[in-house]
Amino acid sequence: MTEKQGAYTGFGPEWQESKLSPQEAQRATSWVEARIDRRSMLTGKDRVEDVRDALRELEKDGEIVVHRITEQHEPVTARTLYGWTKKIPTNQLWHHKSCGQCGNIPGYPTSLLWLMNKLGTRYLDETDQTSCTAWNYHGSGIGNVVSLAAVFLRNFHQAYVSAKAQGLPEGYYYPLVHCGTSFGNYKEMRHFLVHSPQLREQVRKILGKLGRLIDGKLLIPEEIVHYSEWLHVMRERVREHQVIDVSHIRATVHPACHVYKMVPEDVIYDETVLDGNRVAVSTGLLQTLGAQVIDYSTWYDCCGFGFRHIIGEREFSRSFSIDRKIKVAVEEARADVMIGHDTGCITTLDKSQWIGKAVDKIYELPIMADCQFAALVCGAHPYKLAQLHWHASPFEAFLEKIGIDWQKAKAEFDAYLEEVKAGRIETLYDPKRAITSGPGFTRPAQIGTSTAGS
Amino acid sequence: MDEQVAVRPHPGPAADPVSENPPVAREKLEEIFEDIRNHPLYDMELHGCLNCGICTATCPSAHYYDYSPREIVQLLWTENLEGIYDAMQEKIWACAQCYTCAARCPFENSPGGLVMIMREVAIKHGMQSAKDVLRPFSRVLLKVISTGNQLAPNMITRDAFPDWGPNVSKVSAPLDVLRKAIPVPTMHTTDTAWIVNLRTSVELYTIWEETGVLQQIEMVDENLFDVIRDVMDEKREQYEEWLLEQEEDEHEA
Amino acid sequence: MSSAPILVVGGGPAGLTAAHALASVGQPVVLVDKADRLGGAPILSGYAKLVPSGEWARDAIGGMVRRVEQNPLVNVHRNTTVAAFEGEPGRFRARLSNGQEIEPAAAILCTGFTHFDSVNKPEWGFGTYPDVVTTTQVEQMLSSGRGVHCPSDGREPERVAILLCVGSRDRQIGREWCSKICCTVSANIAMEIREALPRCQVYIYYMDIRTFGLYEDKYYWASQEEYRVKYIKARIAEVTSDGKRLIVKGEDTLVKRPITIPFDLVVHAIGMDPNVDNVLLAATFGVKLEPHGHIARAPTYSAMGGTSRPGVFVAGAATGPETIDDSIAQAQAAAMAALAFAQGGLARAAE
Repeated sequence: MTEKQGAYTGFGPEWQESKLSPQEAQRATSWVEARIDRRSMLTGKDRVEDVRDALRELEKDGEIVVHRITEQHEPVTARTLYGWTKKIPTNQLWHHKSCGQCGNIPGYPTSLLWLMNKLGTRYLDETDQTSCTAWNYHGSGIGNVVSLAAVFLRNFHQAYVSAKAQGLPEGYYYPLVHCGTSFGNYKEMRHFLVHSPQLREQVRKILGKLGRLIDGKLLIPEEIVHYSEWLHVMRERVREHQVIDVSHIRATVHPACHVYKMVPEDVIYDETVLDGNRVAVSTGLLQTLGAQVIDYSTWYDCCGFGFRHIIGEREFSRSFSIDRKIKVAVEEARADVMIGHDTGCITTLDKSQWIGKAVDKIYELPIMADCQFAALVCGAHPYKLAQLHWHASPFEAFLEKIGIDWQKAKAEFDAYLEEVKAGRIETLYDPKRAITSGPGFTRPAQIGTSTAGS
Repeated sequence: MDEQVAVRPHPGPAADPVSENPPVAREKLEEIFEDIRNHPLYDMELHGCLNCGICTATCPSAHYYDYSPREIVQLLWTENLEGIYDAMQEKIWACAQCYTCAARCPFENSPGGLVMIMREVAIKHGMQSAKDVLRPFSRVLLKVISTGNQLAPNMITRDAFPDWGPNVSKVSAPLDVLRKAIPVPTMHTTDTAWIVNLRTSVELYTIWEETGVLQQIEMVDENLFDVIRDVMDEKREQYEEWLLEQEEDEHEA
Repeated sequence: MSSAPILVVGGGPAGLTAAHALASVGQPVVLVDKADRLGGAPILSGYAKLVPSGEWARDAIGGMVRRVEQNPLVNVHRNTTVAAFEGEPGRFRARLSNGQEIEPAAAILCTGFTHFDSVNKPEWGFGTYPDVVTTTQVEQMLSSGRGVHCPSDGREPERVAILLCVGSRDRQIGREWCSKICCTVSANIAMEIREALPRCQVYIYYMDIRTFGLYEDKYYWASQEEYRVKYIKARIAEVTSDGKRLIVKGEDTLVKRPITIPFDLVVHAIGMDPNVDNVLLAATFGVKLEPHGHIARAPTYSAMGGTSRPGVFVAGAATGPETIDDSIAQAQAAAMAALAFAQGGLARAAE
């Protein structure tokens, strides 16, 4: 573009060419290449607000009470997208169950509780909790920010006071959210509550009526924690219990939109998992357990659940999940299994495959949650514990591939069902612990605090 | 008053020349937009628009419907009242609520959040689209409003989900037996996802009452509203009776 | 003329200009740079041809380096930072990291910027896929003579996508500013790629094109008319791979449909962040930062080149995203302001 290469135009007579040698030019090149390969610039809090700081300010101003993660919860620190830290409690956890998981994929929470028993984690799974009601809201438009925020704080208040039913202090259990939509929704509600005094006032009135204030104030948790985050920070300890080799398994991960796209700055990115370039949960666990995690071109795509669509317009859900996820995972990534960490995705990806036969889209890709996969490789029974019989996608070939005789396991389960019919039921914890108030409640002196069930 | 109305040039109803639908009065369109704009979250979800299309680029529904989150944002930002009304008739129900748009937008808008505001307003105004769309949802609504659980094992049947395959479970046994074979006691039930404490559902009902959710339901489905009221009145009575019993027990002790 | 030197911090285009301007009127200068050589970003990052002169950075900026290095009035300290800067106008004391102490009459901060690190936008694939690179890396491919290639296997790309506003105009990552230079630089790079690889198609994905002033026809129009570079109004959502090529997901906003397109090479037009050291610099020199983290300027109309502290001046990309030419102009202005301040100090001393 200049008339004469290397000539100078308009800078004065004393100018001359620098004549850098090729080595010098190379040196200039390598400087940036070495430097730019690392996440050297974190996004500072002067640039993006950290809602947790705002939360602590509100507490200082006497507006709210913060439910803190303390030493008793044995927290592990994880890094989030911008290099901020997030405390993940690893003990004394209150299970905030998912309606979609419990109703539809019961092996999902079962595997999680089983892993906790295995690791000696103390927890409470109780009947005094509601759904977050966000599935309903996103699907129908029935509900609003006030109802969602009130439900959020009601359930987390119950988590805070729940231990009193066992004669233990408030704050003993810390809530662990099972559902990705609840996780995302609660973080949105936390954001709105922090930024809207009017919303806080509206919700305070309602919670007052329910008797769910602490010293007349709203109780908001310090961190909102998803079970996949607990599993992520516990992955090395899970591996200690591994009995099945999965190094030959090609696994694809479907990350859940409401887990990592909602409030993205709160999501764990770990330098040791894909160089910190993708959300760390599930992938980190699979890699720690030795499975091959295979990338694919529609990794970022949603599953097609749609909240409303899965109930009333499944043409969309199944087209999207087959064409944009299942097909790609099978044909491009040649996957043996797809692993998720959220309720709606696993439902959609799992249930949408069967109908594909009608349009010659024949795929057989097992779909399961990360904790189900982890439980299986730690020796959990595929039917009794991982409860895979509720899954519509074919999982039998996958079980064979990891050396599990599913026919034998199924026969064992059939035999167990006879025991169940006769009233001989095995559970992961003492059923009395599940009821913390109202009809059926047993006073603290009568129940132990151990995690092991009958 | 009358004179003023006569003098002021009336903008006239919004009318689509090729549509057989009756035109909508300008006042109605303004009322609907005012409800959207005055929603407490509106200013948190919409800041402006660079028209870059990253929302539509990443939108699952845009692949399968005539739906574009960028279009929704533009309609709202430019206050295109007819377009907004039109979108509320159908398009807003295409959104899959994944919030990928919100995660990507460089302006930190939330098109998915704006869609929710529009859905709420569509319900508030009893728009036909809301009634039509929510018809298949009524079973779920009854469940979530009366129990606090969105989904129950006994709702997953072949009739309700014929495209999910021949068997709900690959092991055949009665549903209640299969549920009791789940080693988590809170799941030993078939009509909620987990057993819900009585107090819990009564508390939740109070939340619905206090936040206007019951009026929403009444607007889109009056029968459902009646059923819910009956169910919940009964639960409340049951809980109050239990509380009385407790008091009596304590007196005796 | 004062014998007290003026301290110039940073040896990029602005610092080199200020040092040269002051020395050319007989004012002694102490020039400090934290790197092991002068030249700033164009030299350290291996830029290719500069906008708008079209000269190679190593020639143009290299010449500025030599001019300063050969000037006896400029005392250059490489691998050096300013550890402390204290005192009042007329009695400033600065301690350098090499232990040397000076008493400057004024200081000019020409501390520049830091390239945005694309790793902060993981969905655009940088760090995950080797064939996703930055404009800086393409500059290096060109300036080192290795040519534009796909880092994964060295092949020449047939389809290149340049994504604008990476690390700019993005509230998601707290970078709301326009980085000013990336549109023009990208158009320039696109033309260079087309010149070097005539069979390669180059697409630029943009939110707005800001080839301001005289850059419009020279870059934006010329890249289309003469080089057939395609401009598509779309912000790319994600970059992934199908195992063979890169897959780019966007919306063609004019036809209003989502699109998925394969590419061989994806280039991030990375923006200009505030210098990573700005918080430290602000504390050391006692100057304020503006809300985005750049060094805050005194009112332009009355105090061009000033900062919040009298006697400390600023020029170039330290104040916000800036072109090389404008950095040079600002540095000339700041040198004039600093010189006037230094002479005013002498006059005050004489009274």
